[in-house]
Amino acid sequence: MDWLIEQLKDQLVFSVVLSLVVFAAIMTAVAYCIYFERKISAWMQDRVGPNRVGPLGLLQPMADGAKFLLKEDIIPAFVDKPLFVLAPAFALIMGLAGFAILPWGGMVDLDGDGVVDVMCQVADPGVGLLYLLAVGGMAVYGVVVGGWANNNKFAFLAAMRATAQMLSYEIPMALVILLVVMTTGQLGLDDIARSQMGEGNLWHVCHHPVAFFIMLVTLFAETNRTPFDMAEAEQELIGGYHTEYSALKFGLFFLGEYAHMIIGSGFVIVLFLGGWHLPWVSFLQPEATSVWAMLAKMSVFATKIAAFLFLFMWVRWTLPRFRFDQLMRLSWKGLLPVCLMLFAYVTVLLYLGRQTDLMWTLGGNGVLILLVLIVAGTMGVPVSGRQGNLSTLPWEGAVRAR
Amino acid sequence: MAKITIDNQEIECRDGIPVLQAALEAGWDVPHYCYHPGLSVVASCRLCLMEMQLPHPKTREMGWAPKLFPSCQTPVKDGMVVRFDSGAVEQNQKACMEYFLLNHPLDCPVCDQAGECHLQDYSYKFGESESRMHDQKQVNPKKDIGPQTLLYSDRCVMCTRCVRFAEEVSGTEELCIVNRGGRAEIDIFPGIPLDNPMQGNVVDVCPVGALLDKDFLFKKRVWFLESGDSVCPGCSTGCAIRVDQSDNRVQRLKPRYNPGVNEWWMCDEGRFGWKYVHDVERVTRPRLRRGAEMETPAWESLGEIVRYRFEQQVDRHGAAKVAVLLSPMMACEEAWLLAKFVRELAPDATIATGFVPMVGEERCFPVGCNADDAKFVIRREKCPNGRGVELVAEHFGGSTCDFDGFVTKAGEGAFEAVWVVGGYSEEWVPKALATSLAKIEMLVVQDMFESALTGEAELVLPACAWVERDGSFVNHAGLIQPFERAINVPDGARRDGQYLFGLAGFEGLYSGARVRALMAEEMDAFREIAEAPRQPAHQH
Amino acid sequence: MIEEKDIINVDEPELTAGERLYLPQIAGGMRTTLRHMFKKKITVQYPEQKRELRTENYRGVHRLNRDEQGRVACVACFMCQTACPAHCIHIVGAESPWEDREKYPVQFDIDELRCIYCGMCEEACPVDAIELTPEYDLVGRTREEMIFDKEKLLMVFDRTKETKPRKNPKITGYSGTGCADEHTVTERGEAH
Ligand code: SF4
Ligand code: SF4
Ligand code: SF4
Ligand code: FES
Repeated sequence: MDWLIEQLKDQLVFSVVLSLVVFAAIMTAVAYCIYFERKISAWMQDRVGPNRVGPLGLLQPMADGAKFLLKEDIIPAFVDKPLFVLAPAFALIMGLAGFAILPWGGMVDLDGDGVVDVMCQVADPGVGLLYLLAVGGMAVYGVVVGGWANNNKFAFLAAMRATAQMLSYEIPMALVILLVVMTTGQLGLDDIARSQMGEGNLWHVCHHPVAFFIMLVTLFAETNRTPFDMAEAEQELIGGYHTEYSALKFGLFFLGEYAHMIIGSGFVIVLFLGGWHLPWVSFLQPEATSVWAMLAKMSVFATKIAAFLFLFMWVRWTLPRFRFDQLMRLSWKGLLPVCLMLFAYVTVLLYLGRQTDLMWTLGGNGVLILLVLIVAGTMGVPVSGRQGNLSTLPWEGAVRAR
Repeated sequence: MAKITIDNQEIECRDGIPVLQAALEAGWDVPHYCYHPGLSVVASCRLCLMEMQLPHPKTREMGWAPKLFPSCQTPVKDGMVVRFDSGAVEQNQKACMEYFLLNHPLDCPVCDQAGECHLQDYSYKFGESESRMHDQKQVNPKKDIGPQTLLYSDRCVMCTRCVRFAEEVSGTEELCIVNRGGRAEIDIFPGIPLDNPMQGNVVDVCPVGALLDKDFLFKKRVWFLESGDSVCPGCSTGCAIRVDQSDNRVQRLKPRYNPGVNEWWMCDEGRFGWKYVHDVERVTRPRLRRGAEMETPAWESLGEIVRYRFEQQVDRHGAAKVAVLLSPMMACEEAWLLAKFVRELAPDATIATGFVPMVGEERCFPVGCNADDAKFVIRREKCPNGRGVELVAEHFGGSTCDFDGFVTKAGEGAFEAVWVVGGYSEEWVPKALATSLAKIEMLVVQDMFESALTGEAELVLPACAWVERDGSFVNHAGLIQPFERAINVPDGARRDGQYLFGLAGFEGLYSGARVRALMAEEMDAFREIAEAPRQPAHQH
Repeated sequence: MIEEKDIINVDEPELTAGERLYLPQIAGGMRTTLRHMFKKKITVQYPEQKRELRTENYRGVHRLNRDEQGRVACVACFMCQTACPAHCIHIVGAESPWEDREKYPVQFDIDELRCIYCGMCEEACPVDAIELTPEYDLVGRTREEMIFDKEKLLMVFDRTKETKPRKNPKITGYSGTGCADEHTVTERGEAH
């Protein structure tokens, strides 16, 4: 035991062990995500959902997994074979890569000697956020390559949609992240999380509710979840980019999607919801460094993620899909201007040194919301426009086509 | 041509016909039961009554006469003005229909006539939907009146068409009316069944389901039937018929109106004579001798094989040793194609016309009349196209002969390569022919059933029944009549016309009209029909 | 020709400010789905539980009714075959062996796989011989098995006659000549 703790005191060993544990946990979680997706959709539709495999259908993921493994893996003759094989792997790898920098449990004192030994994080590069943006940007490759390799016009169309969508939503997302970076002055994820704790510090969501909301919206778009699942719109595109996939490869896409969701939620939690922190709970403060505190922090983090996943599913089984033009309009005409205004406002706050003053930050947000309401209420918000009467923003001149 | 006015519309019509006939021909739907253009007029059903303008007895002014006139009994007269669309006429039709339906059972669901029943149609169109009959219906019995016919006398509307048919057309007078008024019934005389050779027509003339054909009884509801216009192959009269089929099986034959040939009638021999079509014993596949074995060649390769083998024979023995026997069961088109093929291969080939079955005497109807007054004749020549194949043989000229000549020549060993066409429903090969043809080198037999010849043949080809083919027959009087295909050939077979078409060097699908157009270029007889096939003017 | 006065122009309803903002609607939707999560589930665990069919008019497997003497009530009129839009009924009729009946079906096949359970056959039958039963658990291993012949259809009747008695047990068939069926004449004779 002592020997083990000694070994774990080495950050490298700890990171390797942590990554293995997290990987295993995530894979299981993903499998059960699918289970819960089905359960929740069923509950929302007054059904009971999968309940035949094992008690309460809890073994359903195993059955699904076995099915994915055992089904015939068809590689159609007309596909671009190397890419066809690579794409699902790519989707999964990019989905998982982000886990490397999630701060799971802060500093840990393994042997209880009062000296912090390791950090409960696989890696903490100083530029964590940039890594995150890079990996997030790469995620689209799984879809694009898949769609291309399919050599099927529907799949290709899906890929094109996905690309356009991700590019469009990356901009508001980056701006919002920048907002956090600006107020905290940090790029490392652990540092950002830490900046929301302790005396006088609040979670960023308190200062920037609008930014948090925009982050959420872009997250849905980035993970290709309803109402932004344009890339796999079954009704229009057969199955979208995974039309030609079957068996394990199809399963990998699934895993990738859920992994992507988990990691995306993790980042929002770190950026806005204080990571593993809960106020007023003593062992969830940065000062608590015991192993038990670490485990508690990890479970809090996991719980927060679970809540987000539920939100994802809840939205998916509630909202219909956007039309593609609406989706584009939302990004470019809705989110982007709001982001820019926020950005400008925060710059001013920074200049005035009031970035942590709740009255100033919330006041600004309030004014912004009011502004949006006025514009939306009077001119019509672009997102809700029907094809027939696309109302335009005031500066575009009021051309109402009938 | 007379000009009359019906319902304010002026029409032209033939002189001397009843107004009813004129109205029907001009497209009016006038209800009628007792009138039949082929029978005498009795004007007993009173359904066809019309209003007519007559001069006022005193003022001589033209006006609608107060009473109704039977249109079936009133001949047209130039300038006549009648109407069917008045209230009085309609009221009469309604009253008559109610009367006809008083005792009529409501058993359309099990009545074979349903769907082609005039009582149904008229009651729907001219009758009332409610009956006011309170009393028990008068139920007349069902009677077995002959070997082929049932009489459901409760369904009868007493139009007496059947009685008049038996009197005037068949002349056999088996039917009569017994009892009077509401109890009147059609019946046969005790012990004398309705069994004349034309009795099937009574079922056709009966406008309701009272007379039914045992052969078709309960077989199919008529709306499931699909029809092809055909010509009866039973004798050289060439009655125009309709082949009613369903599920690719012939269900019944009905005569078509064909003025000057069979009028409205056909004989029982033809009507029931189609059973062999569905005989399981039929030859349905080509059969080729290769060494000692018989094998089934692919239809696609057949042309080449036949051509090659015939050419071999011509090379070896000369063109004069080739002969073809054209059966009078063939259509003219098929005969022409085959003769063309053989003559191209072997210009000196003999074209023989086939066996013409002759049975008994010509039978003229009404019985006892002579041939000139006959309304209908069943001929002794029991094949449809004797004249047609003769025409074809004549057209090709050169060495031709009739069947007897062919048998003699074959016996003398004049041929080495022979194509024999049969297609008869019965055994037809004379012994002498079988023995002489057994010896020759190349024998092609195209026949419907196995015979002494098919056993000896190098190549056996299925001959299809006439309902499976299309083409034209030339009847005893030289009238060319086209017939349509009604059902598909049996599995594995091909239409004779189709493979002969290919052999004669044409590509694509055979159709009678297409070949007739080709024949018309060479044969005058076919010129007119290729342009406009004969269509009966008015089908009653 | 469609007349101008018959044309009704329908405008899209104007969206209110709240609807145009979209967010309140989303919130409303989310509330609805959340509420449903905790509602009673309506799922019926099929093979173990069976649904109580609320209606006797449920259109399930066909049956061929028997008359009071236990004979097939069908008179082989082909009305059902004629009415059937799916062309799944095949009847072979013949002269009936019974005194009071003209015609009966020697063969009566329904392709239950091809049937669309529209009930037209039941509607068309003049003697109420064919009826659709509330039986819905219809399974078979082969297509042939799913073509129900006369015997099978009569068996369905025997199975279901308790729960769903024949609508009109009096009707025994269409009589032909010489075998007047009182019922047919009096009750049905009213309308042509
Ligand atoms: S049996 Fe037919 S044809 Fe003869 S009288 Fe009756 S209805 Fe007329
Ligand atoms: S229910 Fe409809 S489809 Fe089925 S057999 Fe009856 S008529 Fe045909
Ligand atoms: S409609 Fe009724 S009586 Fe007629 S064939 Fe069908 S089941 Fe039999
Ligand atoms: S048709 Fe004229 S009275 Fe019968």
